[in-house]
Amino acid sequence: MDFISPEIKRVGMKLACLCGSCRNSVGDCSMIACGYAFPAKQKIKQLQTMGSSDQNIVGRFVKEQGIKALATPETTGFGLIGWLMPGFAALLGLIAVGVYIKRFRSPMPAPAVPVAPAALAAYESTAAKELDRMES
Amino acid sequence: MENVGALSLLLAFCVALFSFFSSIVGAWRKNLYLVAAAQRSVYLVWALITTASGLLLYGLIEGDFRLQYVASHSNKAMPLLYKVTAWWGGQEGSLLFWSWILSCYGAVVVFTNRKQFKTIMPWVIAVMMFTQIFFLILNNFVVPPFQLWAIGRGIISLPDGQGLNPLLQTPSMAIHPPMLYLGYVGFIVPFAFAIASLITKQPGDEWIQTTRRWTLVTWLFQSIGVTLGMGWAYYVLGWGGYWAWDPVENASVLPWITATAFLHSVMMQEKRGMMKVWNMVLVSSTFFLCIFGTMLTRSGLVQSVHAFGISSIGNYFATFLAIGIAATVWLILDRLEFLKSEAHLESVVSRESGFLFNNLVLLASCFAVLWGTLFPVISEAVTGEKISVDAPFFNKVNIPIGLFLLFLTGVGPLIAWRRSSPDSLRRNFMWPTIAMFVLMAALFGAGIRNEYALLSFGLCLFVTATIASEFIKGAVAIAHKESMNVVRATIELTHRNTRRYGGYLVHMGIVVMFVGFTGAAFNKDLIVEASMGKSFNIGRYELKITELKDGDEENYAWMKAKIDVMVDGKLVDTMEPERRIYKASRQPTSNVDIRRRLNEDLFLNFAAMATQGQGAVIQAYVFPLVSWIWIGFVVVFFGTLICLVPAKIKYSYARTEVVGTTTGKATRESHAKT
Repeated sequence: MDFISPEIKRVGMKLACLCGSCRNSVGDCSMIACGYAFPAKQKIKQLQTMGSSDQNIVGRFVKEQGIKALATPETTGFGLIGWLMPGFAALLGLIAVGVYIKRFRSPMPAPAVPVAPAALAAYESTAAKELDRMES
Repeated sequence: MENVGALSLLLAFCVALFSFFSSIVGAWRKNLYLVAAAQRSVYLVWALITTASGLLLYGLIEGDFRLQYVASHSNKAMPLLYKVTAWWGGQEGSLLFWSWILSCYGAVVVFTNRKQFKTIMPWVIAVMMFTQIFFLILNNFVVPPFQLWAIGRGIISLPDGQGLNPLLQTPSMAIHPPMLYLGYVGFIVPFAFAIASLITKQPGDEWIQTTRRWTLVTWLFQSIGVTLGMGWAYYVLGWGGYWAWDPVENASVLPWITATAFLHSVMMQEKRGMMKVWNMVLVSSTFFLCIFGTMLTRSGLVQSVHAFGISSIGNYFATFLAIGIAATVWLILDRLEFLKSEAHLESVVSRESGFLFNNLVLLASCFAVLWGTLFPVISEAVTGEKISVDAPFFNKVNIPIGLFLLFLTGVGPLIAWRRSSPDSLRRNFMWPTIAMFVLMAALFGAGIRNEYALLSFGLCLFVTATIASEFIKGAVAIAHKESMNVVRATIELTHRNTRRYGGYLVHMGIVVMFVGFTGAAFNKDLIVEASMGKSFNIGRYELKITELKDGDEENYAWMKAKIDVMVDGKLVDTMEPERRIYKASRQPTSNVDIRRRLNEDLFLNFAAMATQGQGAVIQAYVFPLVSWIWIGFVVVFFGTLICLVPAKIKYSYARTEVVGTTTGKATRESHAKT
């Protein structure tokens, strides 16, 4: 006999196992005689047989156990902060990196000014004379 | 015996106090006698804590059940290995173990630096002894390990003890905590040197060069500890997972993440004299996260199966953390003048930027894990209602972060220091990128639709190609120049710059581990109440229970199910998952049987006897690619060992001075004087 059908698992994955021994969802909890997940799975099965939708079943658990029955924070109210904070922190970090790069980046080198041909010829002539002098 | 043990701990506390004040006053007044006394006191602290630890260990081995700790964590029937393991199996013993490792580190640091760093060593001792005093306060006055039953209970002794928690009676659990503790406690060494360099206003490179090996070794210990914990969870807990995002697991990985960030960003300071403040912050964060993790495990602040239980010990840790963090923040802010960068960032497309992003992603991951771990507590404090944060949250947040980190692992090493030209970027990344997309297309064609799995496999190939190209380019050049074969040239290449190529190997190990992690996207599981002789299927396997047997050992009673494993009707293996019931605690445990292969593990757990007739409840799992996690870790291990080998060629790095600041020069001059 199968202990958990895919349908039970689908709903169970949205619910936290509150047995206190694991951090799994009801759908994931593999303890055979788990004091929370086992009756929870039976209840999900019973409600599904009665024709309840996934949302209704989850809502029923939340009504009975409180918001902690959910495996993850809600995307509303204080739960939303739970979801947003890691991204917000990463964004702050990205801004900090941007500020660091801007602050510590070397100033751009000044664009090369074209040298006048006469000045270049004079320089080359001086360099040639210097080299001749060194070789002699 | 218990009196000698308790007295040793009390004396160790007094001597540690003396050492702390003696080193500070000695450094302050430049009194060498006081500094020498402080140094020698560190050895004495070690000797006294070793005596106390030896006595507790003797009590555990000999079964001195007059002691509460021994009676609660040991019994006569336990094998010697687990009697020793009981030392760190409970709150009191494990805190003594913490103290003992800290004292060992203290003695080794003082001994190896006895003739150098005369200016900073007294402060290093002061920081280490301050931490030692804190743990000795716990050992002496909060959770003493030498408490007798007789005190307040009217019981003098017990005939036998309760024994160690059966889940801890496995060989990996005998090694996992010591490794983790060696990593946790070991981070005090770079932290102590960092703080000492700040106090003495010498926050240059000296402390980094001195502690580089310490940092790497402690990071390796942390890595071994975390991986052994994963292996233990996989093998012992019976649910086949290796990571459940449990608060205690999270606590163990938080300092590992910041330590990894530190190991990367410290190269910026060594090679370019940059990010000095940041390195101070990272090394301090790592140490404080180690303490925070210890607090989380022991205070009952968060609910966890791994925790030692609820106690008031958390208040002591919170006080220590508050004092330590406040002092460190003040010190860093006060010494900002000495922590100025010595170089500019020359281009956004440079290795330096790669390290910045690497640190950003690692820290984002660290914050996400910490936030998720503490969110139930925070939500309860703010709204009065606890919000659960379980594995799905952590997976959703951390998988994208992990994949981006994997991408950076491939990109970072191929970008040059200072600046990279578009041409070199195209040359270095064209083929790895093409290979990545070809693999992703092929896997999509083969029917894989999980977007994260596709991306992960693609990135694994991308990083492998970039690392391989680095080895091949270097080895071919050496082989050509020195007229040697490519294998020898690769060894020569690695030996010439062990840090760089050892680091690449560590990256390769991480890639291999990611292959294993990605396999989790294709896990299969089944729980059945199977009757004798009837078969059931999971994946490509057909399984049939052929025999049920039971037996009795001194420490536990056992039941085994003999299960034939067939593929395409052919018998390929026979597996024997076992269920044990430990006599002392009456606690059942599972000894799963795993058929390990490179492509997948077949994992069978004997969960219970059948409720009706002859049979058993069997949990069967197929875990694709999981073996690559352990193989990857072996590569990480050897890569780290290579990093520790001195390089054949000593590289020196030219630095660009920041025009207009004299701090860098002043600092180096003061170094020369010391």
